Amino acid sequence: MFRDFLIRLRALFRRNVVEGELDDELRFHFEHQVEKFVHSGLPLQEARRRARLQFGGLDQLKEECREARGTHFLETLAQDIRYSLRVLRKSPGFTAVAVLTLALGIGANTAIFNVAHATLLQPLPIKQASRVVVIWANNLTHGWSRIGPTGQDYLDWKEQSKSFDDLFLFEHGTGTVTGSGEPEQVAGLRVTTNFGDFFGIKPVLGRTFRMEDAAGRHNFALLGNAYWRRHFNSDSSVVGRGMTLNGEQYTIIGVLPAEFAALFPSDLVVSFDNDWLKRANGDLGVLGRIKRGATLQQAAGEMSVIAERIANSRPARKGFGVVLVSLESVRLEYLRPALLVLLGAVGFVLLISCANVANLMLARSLVRRREMAIRMALGAGRLRLIRQFLIESTLLSILGGAAGSLLALWSTELLKVFVPSRIPVPNAADYVTLPGIHMTGAAFAFTIGISLFTGLIFGLIPGFQNLRCNVNGLLKEGGRGLRTGPGGHRTRSSLVVVESALAFVLVIGAGLMINSFWRLLQTSPGFRPDHLLTLRIKLPADAKDSKYREPRQQAVTFQRFLAGVEAVPGIQSAAFADIVPLSQDDMDRGYFVIEENPPLPPGEHLSADYRDITPNYFATMKIPLAAGRTFTQQDDLDHPRVVIIDESFARHFFPDQDPIGKHVNVPDAARPAREIVGVVGSVRDAGFDQQPQPTIYFPSLQSPDQTMTLVVRTAMPPSTILPAIKNAIWSVDRNQPVFAVRSMEEIISGIVSAQRLAFLLLGVFAFLALALAAIGIYGVTSYLVSERTHEIGVRSALGAQSSDVSRLVLGHGVKLAGIGMLGGAIAALALTRLLSSLLFSVSSTDPLTFISVAILLTLVSLAACYIPARRAMRIDPVIALRCD
Amino acid sequence: MPQQGVDLPQGTLDLLILRTLALGSNHGWAISERIHQVSSKVLQVQQGSLYPALHRLERRGWIKARWGASENNRRAKFYELTKSGRKQLEAEQGEWKKLAAAVAQVLETA
Repeated sequence: MFRDFLIRLRALFRRNVVEGELDDELRFHFEHQVEKFVHSGLPLQEARRRARLQFGGLDQLKEECREARGTHFLETLAQDIRYSLRVLRKSPGFTAVAVLTLALGIGANTAIFNVAHATLLQPLPIKQASRVVVIWANNLTHGWSRIGPTGQDYLDWKEQSKSFDDLFLFEHGTGTVTGSGEPEQVAGLRVTTNFGDFFGIKPVLGRTFRMEDAAGRHNFALLGNAYWRRHFNSDSSVVGRGMTLNGEQYTIIGVLPAEFAALFPSDLVVSFDNDWLKRANGDLGVLGRIKRGATLQQAAGEMSVIAERIANSRPARKGFGVVLVSLESVRLEYLRPALLVLLGAVGFVLLISCANVANLMLARSLVRRREMAIRMALGAGRLRLIRQFLIESTLLSILGGAAGSLLALWSTELLKVFVPSRIPVPNAADYVTLPGIHMTGAAFAFTIGISLFTGLIFGLIPGFQNLRCNVNGLLKEGGRGLRTGPGGHRTRSSLVVVESALAFVLVIGAGLMINSFWRLLQTSPGFRPDHLLTLRIKLPADAKDSKYREPRQQAVTFQRFLAGVEAVPGIQSAAFADIVPLSQDDMDRGYFVIEENPPLPPGEHLSADYRDITPNYFATMKIPLAAGRTFTQQDDLDHPRVVIIDESFARHFFPDQDPIGKHVNVPDAARPAREIVGVVGSVRDAGFDQQPQPTIYFPSLQSPDQTMTLVVRTAMPPSTILPAIKNAIWSVDRNQPVFAVRSMEEIISGIVSAQRLAFLLLGVFAFLALALAAIGIYGVTSYLVSERTHEIGVRSALGAQSSDVSRLVLGHGVKLAGIGMLGGAIAALALTRLLSSLLFSVSSTDPLTFISVAILLTLVSLAACYIPARRAMRIDPVIALRCD
Repeated sequence: MPQQGVDLPQGTLDLLILRTLALGSNHGWAISERIHQVSSKVLQVQQGSLYPALHRLERRGWIKARWGASENNRRAKFYELTKSGRKQLEAEQGEWKKLAAAVAQVLETA
């Protein structure tokens, strides 16, 4: 066994020595044979001749010995590879075009694979992530499909449920870090102390929370890895140091690993203590790990029962149910449809590339038929010839794959600009972060795999084609057998038809996306989104001695901020609102009752979006006032309560009455009836493709908030005006940070990120597909012309005009494209349904798009046939008839 | 002298080579001569079958080769039987005897 291996190795790597030995051995035998003949009486010459005769075919003998050596396969493989390289080098034009085409196809696939890998295939940094679910509460009568539960809910669930290994509660928030330089607003996470165990986290430094930490108010903080690098310069002695958060003293107990940011990109993590947990009622989230052996349905069923029990024992939770969604699918909901479409599209592009290269190889192989015939006549096996083609095609595709990898690397950098770093979670005012996208080892493996696969596909097609040729016919002089051959033309034409069909489908898809995206952006959101800058301010009210504990004080402070900002030169108008449209920052909906209307049947509720605003809000946002008045400074806590409604509300609930002067009641401690004093235009709050919801606006002085968003209308660029705004804020409170600085354009860009990505990429792929299909049509038509030169010469000699000739050529090309378009149209009608979730106000079978794309493809195929047609027209019949 | 001999099937040639080498190491020429002589000049092994067989047997590990000096001091490749080759020889000899006996039986009784 081992000896066998050694012998083979030696035969491979020390070929010359081994061949020399074989020569020596055989010569030795020959000499002895000659001697034997001489001894038996023959003269030397005769003896030599006899011996040589007896030896037979020396080369064949050597060949058989080589085969017996067992390295035959590898030796011939090496031979074939060297030969293929020579062949490829000798036709640089063909090689370049083939490699480029493959690079485009393979590169595009690798780039999309990267995106898909990062978003769909990356494992989450939680142990046993497949069993983790997100648990939301819901209240369908209120119109809330996914909201956070209360802390008490969490405690009840933890106590009563049997389906989970563990339940974990967290709250997103921000905090103010002061004490060193500029006050900073950091992204924070408050967690239950089972944090470390639930995720299986190993901290980079220090420790995570322990159970005992929940017993009292310990103020321990964990640093996020990026924050630790940025703020503390990766100092390894941070554990034990203090920091000031929200005006309180915290102790740093550890640093989290970098992978954790894929789930929660928080700068700081602090823990709930048991008291806080009972009172918690904010933006809470719950994750649970289902016990091994239980299913999601079982857990969901149990939780519904528990929810009912809770509603019975705590009437405040009446109407609240429970929703369980697997964590992995939550991350994917938003992106999956777009990604699947892209994967399909990019697969089409690859198929088109393969078809093109197969066409190229077929064209070339027809010329090489003579060579094949000679080799077959000399004894080459058919398998060996097929192997030759496969080796050539594999080499081409490896080269193409290498070039494609470079392309993918470059385009991945480009993609990073367009792929959002966080994507909204549908139906929950929340975001999920996306891991960064970069070339990974998996991507390279994918590239290699795809290269070999494509090499196989387009290597086998010409390989099998050529085996059907007639050896004898080809070896005869005349060479006509070279040009015309069985099936060559038909295969190439069918490949082009398939390409055209695929390209048609892709261009239709892109056309639909372009249409949809354009319409999306044309939709007015209800306000003027240009020249708006937003930023958020959260008043730190947690500390017991905080001056912002009183709601009145909060409202007054925001007024003072506003006064300072309005004085900044360059600001046209400014206002505060608790939630800015399209930002997905938060959700605020509530019940209301219209005083003047008859009472609703029991169990029925009306709900609307609530918004708290300062008086200048509508003017700043340029939301039109339809009736009544806007708020003034007089609408404060010492004056009657007022509200403004929007047109959706008016249309819904006051269809034939004047709402001005009516009163609404909202569930609120003081329960005064609030008078409607104005009606404003509706705003699309949740997205361009969402209907505006009925909204009630409250004056901020009558409904204060701890966190508000400043909206300013200014013609100056954000970077210029921002420092002045910050200074205005700091002149009121030196320690108040601002965060989430975004222009309205950035906010809009974030909300359409999936559609925009799909639109861009689909556009690029459609363009590639079109270009490749055009090249394919050009190739086939051009070959047709050279094949039928003789025939065209005859026709011209017989009186055909050049217009007839060009019609012949153009007609052929357009016919191919036309058949392809027909097939493509049928496929498109079936496939574009998959796009419909991404399309806005465009039907997936929009006739206008289909017709325009058909016209486009016809024009492109005409253009592709133009050069060959011109060549055909210029054929001199005399030369054509003579040459053959 | 008769140049044509009986055609040997491949497996049988292997057996003959192994047996010849069992008596002592030798080069290819000597092996073919020996088989020719011992079989009363009936079996003539052609180079075309001999050398591929030798290389095959070497790869299989039943014989091993080394370069040495021949009787008239020329460089030649000598083959000798290995331990596993010896075992293989015994096995194949047994097989051959059984085969020969069985064929003889059938020819006799038919």
